[in-house]
Amino acid sequence: MKSSSPSQPYFLWCHLNKLRWLSLIIVFLMLIILPFFYLYQTYAASFAYDLLAPSEKQLYDVVETLTSPFTNDPVRDLDAIKGTTWSGTFWGLKLSDPLAVVAQSAASLSVYWPFFLTALIPIILTLIFGRFFCGWICPATLLYELNSNLAVWLHRLGFKLGNRTFDRRFKYLVLFTGLVLSSISGVVLIAGMYPPAIIGRELFYGIALSGFGVGMVFFVGTLLFDLLVSRRGFCRYLCPGGALYSLLGRFRIFRIRRIVESCNDCAKCNAVCEFGLDPLRDHFGQECNNCTACIAVCPTDAMTFTIQLTDYPEQGAGHLGRQYRRENSEEDK
Amino acid sequence: MQRRSFISSLIASAAALASTGSLAERSQPSLRFLRPPAALAEDDFLSHCIHCGQCGEICPNRCINFFTLENGLSSLGTPYILPREKSCILCMKCGDVCPTGAIKKVVREAKAIIDNVKMGHARVNKSLCLSYQGKTCGVCYRACPLQDVAIYVGMLEQPHVTDKCVGCGLCERSCIQMPQAIRIIPNYG
Repeated sequence: MKSSSPSQPYFLWCHLNKLRWLSLIIVFLMLIILPFFYLYQTYAASFAYDLLAPSEKQLYDVVETLTSPFTNDPVRDLDAIKGTTWSGTFWGLKLSDPLAVVAQSAASLSVYWPFFLTALIPIILTLIFGRFFCGWICPATLLYELNSNLAVWLHRLGFKLGNRTFDRRFKYLVLFTGLVLSSISGVVLIAGMYPPAIIGRELFYGIALSGFGVGMVFFVGTLLFDLLVSRRGFCRYLCPGGALYSLLGRFRIFRIRRIVESCNDCAKCNAVCEFGLDPLRDHFGQECNNCTACIAVCPTDAMTFTIQLTDYPEQGAGHLGRQYRRENSEEDK
Repeated sequence: MQRRSFISSLIASAAALASTGSLAERSQPSLRFLRPPAALAEDDFLSHCIHCGQCGEICPNRCINFFTLENGLSSLGTPYILPREKSCILCMKCGDVCPTGAIKKVVREAKAIIDNVKMGHARVNKSLCLSYQGKTCGVCYRACPLQDVAIYVGMLEQPHVTDKCVGCGLCERSCIQMPQAIRIIPNYG
C-alpha cells in the first residue's frame, strides 16, 4: 500500500459540476426562449406589426434584436431549432428521448424505424455515459435539485421534512406498468408522467398558448413529494425514464470511482449524492448519473473518472481515515 | 395540522378534483375539433403521437393547440385545431417536423394536398347562409385555398362544396354569419 503514491484525478474534473449546472441552465433557458421565438415567428409570418398589442410589439422588438444577426428570414430560419428534450429538431437533425421511442413502439405495437433512428445518438451516449441525461440535460433535474437545496434551507429553519427511502427498483415497475398500459390503451401514456416531457410541453403551453395545463399540476405534485416525503424521490423511485436509462447504462464505459488511497471516509460524497447512492463504499451501480457532485465535494480529491465496464469491487475503508489507520496499526503490533 | 393528515387531505382533494373533472366531461357535448392536416386515422394517430408538441411549435398560423383534459385522458397533450377560432393554412410544416409519422409528410402542392389531406368536409347550412337567403356574399369561396376545385359558386355566389374539400376550415373561419353558416364536419379516418 505504501509503495504507490495515490493517483490524482485530472484537475478539471472537480469543476465538471459547475459545467453541469451550466448545461442544465442552458437547456432550461432554451425551453423558455423557444416559445418566445415561436411567438415572434408567428407575428412575423402574419406581416401585421402595426396590429400587434403594445406588449406583443415589445416582444417582437426584443426577439428581433436578439435574432436578427443570425437570421435573414425569421419565419424560415428560426425553424432550425424546435421541440423539447422529449423530441426535438436541430437543423434538420431529429433527436428523441429513447423512452419516447420505447413508449411509442409499445403503444402502436410496431417499430417506426425513422423514429427509432432519432433516438440512436442518445442511446449510444447512454451506453457510454450511463444515466447522463438525468444529471446533465433533463430540464426537470434543474428544478428538482433546486428543490433539494430548498429542502436543506427549510431543514435549517427548523421545518420537519420527510426523508423516507423506498425500494429503488420500484421505478422499473413503473416503467413496465407504463409500457403495458400504453400498449393496452394504444396511447403514449408515459409522456404524461415523465417530468422532462411535461416541463418542455408545459413551458410552451404556458408561454405561447393558453396557459399551463394539467401536466403542471402533476409536476408540482412531484416537487411536493420530493420536498415532503422523500428527497429526490421521484427520480430515485418513480421516474420511468430514469429506469430506462439505468438499464441502458448498466454497462456504461465511463464511471466514477473512488481512489481508496486518498479517501478519508468523511462521507461528504454520500451526503451530496442526489440519487442516494453510496460512493463511500464504491456502490455506484447502474443508477449513477455521472453528475460529478461527489468529485466536486471531495476534500481530498479521492473521486475520479475511470473507463471500465463494471464498478470497482468494495475497496474498504479509505486509507486516510481513522478506521484504516486503527486496523493497520493493530496489524503492525 | 399533522403532516400525515395534510397529505391525506391533499390526496382526497386531488381525487375530488379529478372526479368533478370527469363529471364535467360527461355532461358536456363532444368537441368538434380537427386533427392537423394529413394526420393518421384517430386510433393510429393516438398510438403514434408522443405529445412532443413540435407541430404546434412550427405552425406559423398558431392554429394548432393542445388538449389538456377536455377530450379525455387519451387525448392529453395531443394537437387539435378549432377551425372557427384559427384554421389551418395548409403549410404542411407539421408533417415535416413530426418525428413519429403521426402526421404524414405531404408536399405543399395542390394535387398532393387534395390526395392526402382529409381533415374533414365543409357543409353549408343553407338556412343560415346569406347567399342562399338572397344576399350575395361569397366570402367562403374567396377564403378557400382550392377555389373552383373544392368549392364553387352558383347563382348569387351560393357555395357548393365538392368531394375534393380537404377540410382546412378557412371557409368556416371567414364566414361572416354568426353562427357560421359553413362548418367543417371532422373526419377522424
